[in-house]
Amino acid sequence: MTQLAPHIFNGLTLGLLFALIALGFMLIVGVMEVINLAHGSLFALGAYFALTLIGMDPIADTGFGQWWLGLPLAPRYIAALMFAPVLAGGIGMLLELCLRRTYGKAPLYGLLLTFGAGIVIEEIIRLGWGTGEQYLQVPQAINGATFFLGSIYSKYKFFAAGFSVFAILGVWAFLEKTPYGAIIKAGAHDSEMVRALGYDLSKLRLLVFGFGAALAGLAGIVMVPIWGLRPHVGIDVVIPAFLIIALGGVGSFWGAVFASILVGLTVGVTGAYASAWSMMSMYVLLILVLGFRARGLFGRASALEN
Amino acid sequence: MSKIIMNRRQLLTTAAAAAGGVSTFFGPWKHNRVLAAASDKPIKIGFTSDASGQYANSGASDRRGMMMAIAEFNEKGGVLGRKIETTHIDTETTPATGSRVAERMISREEVGFMVGAVSSGVANAISQVAQKYGVIYLNTNSSSPTESGKNCHRVKFVWDGNGSNFAQAAVKNAISAYGKKWMLLTNDYGWGHDTAAATKKLLAKYGGTVEDEFLVPQGTRDFSSALLKIQQASPNVVAAAVGGDDQKAMRQQVAQLGMGEKPAWINNQQDWPDVYGLPIENLFGVFGTTWYYKLDLPGVDDFVKRYQAMYPDTKMRVPGNVFYNGYMATKNLLAAIERAGTTNNIAVIKELEGHKMSAADRMQHHDAYIDPVTHQVQQTIYLATGNTGTSDKDDMFKILSNSSPDEVKDEGAPGACALESYDATPTFDA
Repeated sequence: MTQLAPHIFNGLTLGLLFALIALGFMLIVGVMEVINLAHGSLFALGAYFALTLIGMDPIADTGFGQWWLGLPLAPRYIAALMFAPVLAGGIGMLLELCLRRTYGKAPLYGLLLTFGAGIVIEEIIRLGWGTGEQYLQVPQAINGATFFLGSIYSKYKFFAAGFSVFAILGVWAFLEKTPYGAIIKAGAHDSEMVRALGYDLSKLRLLVFGFGAALAGLAGIVMVPIWGLRPHVGIDVVIPAFLIIALGGVGSFWGAVFASILVGLTVGVTGAYASAWSMMSMYVLLILVLGFRARGLFGRASALEN
Repeated sequence: MSKIIMNRRQLLTTAAAAAGGVSTFFGPWKHNRVLAAASDKPIKIGFTSDASGQYANSGASDRRGMMMAIAEFNEKGGVLGRKIETTHIDTETTPATGSRVAERMISREEVGFMVGAVSSGVANAISQVAQKYGVIYLNTNSSSPTESGKNCHRVKFVWDGNGSNFAQAAVKNAISAYGKKWMLLTNDYGWGHDTAAATKKLLAKYGGTVEDEFLVPQGTRDFSSALLKIQQASPNVVAAAVGGDDQKAMRQQVAQLGMGEKPAWINNQQDWPDVYGLPIENLFGVFGTTWYYKLDLPGVDDFVKRYQAMYPDTKMRVPGNVFYNGYMATKNLLAAIERAGTTNNIAVIKELEGHKMSAADRMQHHDAYIDPVTHQVQQTIYLATGNTGTSDKDDMFKILSNSSPDEVKDEGAPGACALESYDATPTFDA
């Protein structure tokens, strides 16, 4: 048990990181019923924006650049955490404007468009930031190692897991406790009624997509100090995010969070005892769950099931 | 109006003659083809390197090396009086794409030679197609021992050191320096398994023990389970055969935990593009390489200057091992064509087989040669570690030792490799 406990704890933190990765994807799928295959590229883009905001490479030689680089890393990192997701959200909004022509058509159109947009964003990253490996600095206070339950853990991973909890609660509060959240949810359930009440559904969709893209960017900033930063880093994101949504049940916020933790625990514990299966284990879990419950753990029953 | 009447025999004879005549001029896949080649027709080389996927960055570096070698030959007027032209198709770090690209390069682009690889899976796929058509293929940068072992081919030449070479350079010394209790961290695919097998063999030979082997599936981004297992097993040495993006993530996480010093880490090989620009803390442990831009040898400085003159805008300010291998492979191919005095593939293969390259020409410490049995370049293997004693951001490696080709020879390769005969290899003039 003493050997197993650190792996269970590790699986929990891993699950929270998976939840952060899936959050923006889940929001867009759940509310807009659009599978955003550009999620991974927006994830990478957020991290690259943060890299530029921290290092100010294009204007490093100007007076402002020098002043900025003279600041300690912590405020620059916090600024990047705040503003880089906004920039990624802006790109997400542009993508939503392109996506509008696909609404009401077969889902394949939206899939293809976001897939293509993902490739374009990745190429823009290559052109803008180069093809090589980059390093996103983090403040010393959250870097390095710490002891817990007799094992060494990364401080940064604790920070990332804590940040994930914060982001999950923030999104939940936005959707459940604010009038904007209520309108967004109403728009997802009955768009005609929302229009009849005088709300601009187009703006609503723009806002949701931008918010989802910003969350993808935020996840990128938090994750790349663990994974490393390269133009195609987002490839590693889309499939786990999709898997978590399917496992938790499309449209279920807490279903996705629960599924993330389940996936984290499965991967973490499998990693300890059958490491070759650690990646595969999440797919096995998906097959097992969907085999018995096709709508996912917390998904609503379809009309066919009643 | 006259009527031409042919009997069945005449018809068949005419058809056979026509087919034979026409086939002479189509595609390099026909036996004994004489390409409709005027002496001024350019020689076409296909770059089969990755521009996307896990090895996109290394693929770009590989390509730059090939292009510099070709530019140097073209400046001198080409080879055999013919200019060299190139074409590139992205192999996407995917074996299936590698096969498709090779087929297209040969049958549609009509390349005479193919150069480039970082992934052993992709290189293997390309070489199977190349062998089918008899097209010489240079595997520049993939390092699975199987590439010059069971997956060897008459048309394929392997230019990088392999997992077995690097393990031989490191294992014996590491046992005496750090201890006998080892743990293996192995990428769960061909190169990882082959390299781990070579390490296990050497551990058994020199009295080391394998406490545990942790298999790392390709695409792993979280190494916390592995790092917890290492803490629990507390080995003296961790021998990691983890490559590409997996390795980058692993290095980042090991550095974050401060576990780079203890236990000791032996990282089989370290490709320059994978670490260039990263913090020096990420470059923990001892690792192998075939070349470094600060080797104190004649020609190295000039080589670096030529690189910088040709690629003034690249973010990688100095060339690394991947660039070097791409350059050396291409340069030696073109030199072999010149020596052969023909672009006939069999003649060029014979020129390459057993070819000796001086240490001065290769800018390494020992003479090298192309093993005629396995087609792998037998060369100097260097062991290095992160250079913490300098403020020069480019000077990331500290070279610890060099081993001659015979000291690190992959003894298992000759028994595993069965090259196709010359007769079984389609022949053509490129």
